[in-house]
Amino acid sequence: MINKLYFGQYSHKDTIVHKIDPRLKLIYVFALSVFIFTLNKYLGILFFTLFVLLIAIASKISMKKLLQSLRPFYLMFVFLLVMYLIFSRNQLNQGIVVIWRFLMLLIMSYVLTYTTTTSDLVAAIEKLMKPLKIFNIKPRNIAVMISITIRFIPAMLLQFERLRESMLARLANFRNLRHIKLIMLSALEKMFKSASNLSDAMQSRLYNENAESHKIMRLSSNDYISLLIIAVFILVIY
Amino acid sequence: MIEAKNLYFKYDEEFVLKGINIKIKEGCFTAIIGANGSGKTTLAKHFNSLLTPTKGNVLVDGIDTRKDEFDSRKKVGFVFQNFEDQLIHSIVEEDVAFGLENLEWSNNIIKKTVEQTLDKLKIKNLAKRNVNMLSLGQKQMVALAGVLAMNPMYIVFDEPTTMLDAKNKNNIMGVIRDLNIKNKITIILVTNVLDDLKYADRVIILKDGSVLYDGKKYKLNKRIMDKAGLNDK
Ligand SMILES: Nc1ncnc2c1ncn2[C@@H]1O[C@H](COP(=O)(O)OP(=O)(O)O)[C@@H](O)[C@H]1O
Ligand SMILES: [Mg+2]
Repeated sequence: MINKLYFGQYSHKDTIVHKIDPRLKLIYVFALSVFIFTLNKYLGILFFTLFVLLIAIASKISMKKLLQSLRPFYLMFVFLLVMYLIFSRNQLNQGIVVIWRFLMLLIMSYVLTYTTTTSDLVAAIEKLMKPLKIFNIKPRNIAVMISITIRFIPAMLLQFERLRESMLARLANFRNLRHIKLIMLSALEKMFKSASNLSDAMQSRLYNENAESHKIMRLSSNDYISLLIIAVFILVIY
Repeated sequence: MIEAKNLYFKYDEEFVLKGINIKIKEGCFTAIIGANGSGKTTLAKHFNSLLTPTKGNVLVDGIDTRKDEFDSRKKVGFVFQNFEDQLIHSIVEEDVAFGLENLEWSNNIIKKTVEQTLDKLKIKNLAKRNVNMLSLGQKQMVALAGVLAMNPMYIVFDEPTTMLDAKNKNNIMGVIRDLNIKNKITIILVTNVLDDLKYADRVIILKDGSVLYDGKKYKLNKRIMDKAGLNDK
């Protein structure tokens, strides 16, 4: 469980999809997500689905794992279907399309996080947001904020677990409101302490909101080919 | 040289540091020792401009920490007591690069420096690891790497051995000594255990925010230690 928290879905494999520039991958996911919502014909949606599955296969994703990761959403799909069945049976087709589109979004984001490390994604977000500098938005601030969240959420959960255990060891009862309040307050206190340490640490390491990630991202011939494929795909289906 | 001149500091009403006068010369290994709450961390944070004096001055190589935060901070690295909170990125090599990015060094030099620093501390094998999965001793080395990479002249270690087991304690003390002797980095070691004084040339004892003793280690005697509340139990 903890492992999952730390690494997300990323799996280190040697595939073309893994090698594509993370900035491009982000853009593709975004573009394809918009695209699927403009598709209305069944044939188009079918081709889209095949295309996405092809990419998933090219990324060496195991279909079993993919289905497993979608499990939390099945209930929602069933619920949506039931809703359509009850309230607008004549629009059932429409409902299936909506669910299908959503499923595509999920699979694409799975492929993205399966083939890209979180830190590459964060750096890519930072680089893509560079133009926002003219609006005085600092990409570095946003990227570091995301990094810190990723870094500290597992640590916080672990700390909460420790706190819970130490309270249980002293016979706390978490059905008791007072004890719940107590654990919340202690957890918050720890969190604030960590946050204040962290802010000291950032200052002492000369935090500079105008700096940039040192990750070098340069488009290679592979990237241009991927760009071509995606563009052709969208144009043809459209 | 780091110099505190008649340094007073208070968080709230009461002064926590009360007229501190010390000079720390380049190249030496100074230990600041004192009981819990004697003001060690508060004093150490002044060297890094994380705190600035309520009264008096702190100078780092002649630079007033109140006037030029950036330049004084660049000279002084700080390994925090809670070094776990000091790690900002999840991947070791990226965390080590954090300070270098802030200095806006070029990408290639950052890469090279990160590698060299990890190599120097013999933790190259951790480069791609997630910091959340490391042991405490390893996390501390990563925190140190992040500081060392920025090439400071001084490094402050705030109670570096408090959270560690005996083996890791010896290891970090050895590393600190090496930094002092091989890399000529001025060390300021904050501690509350006598064991940590073993490599120090000079000892400053703090008690209730004042300097109780400042001098060579070998001149320390039991009477002073007792007075500081530091006697071996
Ligand atoms: N952020 C703070 N706000 C208010 N008081 C503080 C703060 N940090 C430390 N103190 C107080 O300052 C005194 C010295 O603390 P500190 O420098 O942390 O001592 P040491 O590091 O020697 O244990 C203590 O009495 C402590 O309660
Ligand atoms: Mg302290």
